[in-house]
Amino acid sequence: MSFSLNEVEATAKRAARGAEYSWGMAEEAAKAVRWLCANDMDGVHELAKLLERDAEDQAACPLRIGTQITDNAANLTQGSMDFPEVARPALVLPFLAFAARQVDLCLSLTSNGQTAKTDGHALSSPNEMTSPGQSLVIGVCDTVDSPREVASRATPIPEDWATLNRWAHLTYAPATEESRLLGAGAGLSDND
Amino acid sequence: MQHVAQTEIPRRSPETVMRLSRLGSLHQCRLSFMRILTRRMAREDWQFSRPVFDIDARGVGHAVYCAKGPEHTYSLVAFAHDLPPEMRSDRVIATAWDATFTLFDGTPTKADIERLSQNVPLQEAGRVDEQSLSVSRANRSVRLWEHFVDRLSRGEQPDISKVDAVGYLMRTTAVYGSGKLGSADFEKIAQRPEMSAPFQAEMLSVYLTRTFVRDLVNHMARLRGGESAVQMSSEIAESLGIGNSTGLGMAPYIINHPVLFNNWIMVREEAIARVRSVEHASQDAIERFHHLLARSSTSVDQWASEHPIQQAKCADLKQDLAALQTRLTETPRGGDYPWDQLVRWGENTLSLEGQELIASLILEPYPDLVDGLSSCLADTNSSAFLIDGSMPIAAVKSLIDSSFGWALKTDWTDQANCARAWYVSEEKLEPRLGERFDEPIEAYEQPLAPARDAALAYKALKIWDEAQPVRDFLDAHPEHRHTVRRAQISRIAPYGEIRDNTISDSVLPIDMLRAKLSFFGATQFDPRSDRWVRIKMYAGAPYPEDLSTKTADFWVYPEETA
Repeated sequence: MSFSLNEVEATAKRAARGAEYSWGMAEEAAKAVRWLCANDMDGVHELAKLLERDAEDQAACPLRIGTQITDNAANLTQGSMDFPEVARPALVLPFLAFAARQVDLCLSLTSNGQTAKTDGHALSSPNEMTSPGQSLVIGVCDTVDSPREVASRATPIPEDWATLNRWAHLTYAPATEESRLLGAGAGLSDND
Repeated sequence: MQHVAQTEIPRRSPETVMRLSRLGSLHQCRLSFMRILTRRMAREDWQFSRPVFDIDARGVGHAVYCAKGPEHTYSLVAFAHDLPPEMRSDRVIATAWDATFTLFDGTPTKADIERLSQNVPLQEAGRVDEQSLSVSRANRSVRLWEHFVDRLSRGEQPDISKVDAVGYLMRTTAVYGSGKLGSADFEKIAQRPEMSAPFQAEMLSVYLTRTFVRDLVNHMARLRGGESAVQMSSEIAESLGIGNSTGLGMAPYIINHPVLFNNWIMVREEAIARVRSVEHASQDAIERFHHLLARSSTSVDQWASEHPIQQAKCADLKQDLAALQTRLTETPRGGDYPWDQLVRWGENTLSLEGQELIASLILEPYPDLVDGLSSCLADTNSSAFLIDGSMPIAAVKSLIDSSFGWALKTDWTDQANCARAWYVSEEKLEPRLGERFDEPIEAYEQPLAPARDAALAYKALKIWDEAQPVRDFLDAHPEHRHTVRRAQISRIAPYGEIRDNTISDSVLPIDMLRAKLSFFGATQFDPRSDRWVRIKMYAGAPYPEDLSTKTADFWVYPEETA
């Protein structure tokens, strides 16, 4: 089934919040997943795998590293910067793009022999990025060659979509009859 | 001749405008989304057709209404249902409706309609795709519907007093767009001139829905009465709007979209400033103002509400209008800068309802100064959410202080100041407002209290070195990230923050609903509680066959009654 990017963004935000990211970080996760999907990458899969990862996994969180990259955008022009191994490195790409927009440069990310490049909008990247035991290197590059297609819809793997919804569910307050009436403010007859 | 937009009079400040009591008193104006749409459709001579109308004697079937603009055709696909009375509910948690709709991008084929018929009637339980621009539903006004069918089927017109008492035959209970339920994202249509202003697809959907509803009631009367049935008169048809029941779900929207909401408010404030800066009003402009003021008074006279808060506001507004009449009689020309003088007089004399009515009404004589601003209503800044991590902490604190200085002095430990909490219910995934200290909801609280969160962030920032970049603070305090983002957004969106407490024990969510609905162009706000409001849309508007540049603009003001 295909989903609108707004649906993807809204679901990703709730899922990240359900996984106890702060609201501000959940917003970042949502924008990141949407950006990946708009560049024809499976952002839903990336977030689902991140949220489901093994508690023992020592790799850094890509959302945290990602926001550090955008928050440090001004310093990225100084040459290449190394970051520790991250889980789901594809989730760093949107933040690289957000940083590229801020400094108006093309930026590249290399991990495990794979390289992705972005000018803030277009992206060149393999379909998946892997990172067993590898650090990330980020630097300035010239252009984005053979950018990925732009997508207006997302077609996530059903299991991944279910995973996000399971996490999102944790943000919903269980309904009570009292809250149905009080919370929504109704209670009058509509049948007039 | 094009007026030169000089603004010697500045815009009103966010501190003045962004109070909930004032936002809850806003009125429609030239920049309202319905009026932007009808003016454009008339100017561009849109063509309307009804290629399908297939509805049986039980009122079950479907119809298609096409609206053809210069480059694109949009089609309302309407499904009519036979709804048992006990299932009729305006609540967003309802599961069946009298009619369901989608606005289709293009002209649907039979296969499209077949697919839509499996999904649109289910609303939230169905799925549409990016060929749908909106999904909506409507319920009959039971008291008026049966009266219409009965009278028309017997060859008589409906009783005017009954028509006026309700004002619509159906009311929509939700109009979803922008990607909801699988529909197209706004980005798909944002570059089309006719869709670039906010909510144009939704407004078009409701406009065509009104035509469908008129046709359906005529059709049902004919099926019942046969030869003796008549169609409703064009006067009655024109007076009918589409009702709308809007619940709490819409309130968070204006908090969650600070740039977009800023644009709406700032554009209106800019329009007001431009008109206040007009040094001398022409006789034509003064006459137009007087004429529309009289028609506006008629609208206020027709405004009925059962809610005590709105009843009191309407009573104040009637007094305001009387005071305004007196002033205009005493100083008909108004002197230099007449509109500015009028606004200033209102600030000292009138209730907020009256002040905002004047602010909207003075825009009417000046389409050249005002209408072009409609291109600034949309949010096209996709980078606004990016945080500048290099900003010194002192600057972040200053931004917070400028939007929320008042909130820094609020005692947020006082239960009255944080009595409520916004949350999303498991049941329907809709926003609700609960009692923080009486219900188990705090763990599920949504970030819809920017003022409280600003105060918390400010307190945390106090112990940091003011010269340090905010990224260091954010890395240590991700819980304040959304607040720092909003503070930075306020640089480009000075009207993006409500200057009031959205979780106090006295907050009225209907103020937020009214603010949003006034920009749609709604009138006759009728709160049904502190968090649920009924309105009318398109009452008085020309139907497609009567839409022209003569009729497209001022329909919102009813003709004066004798």
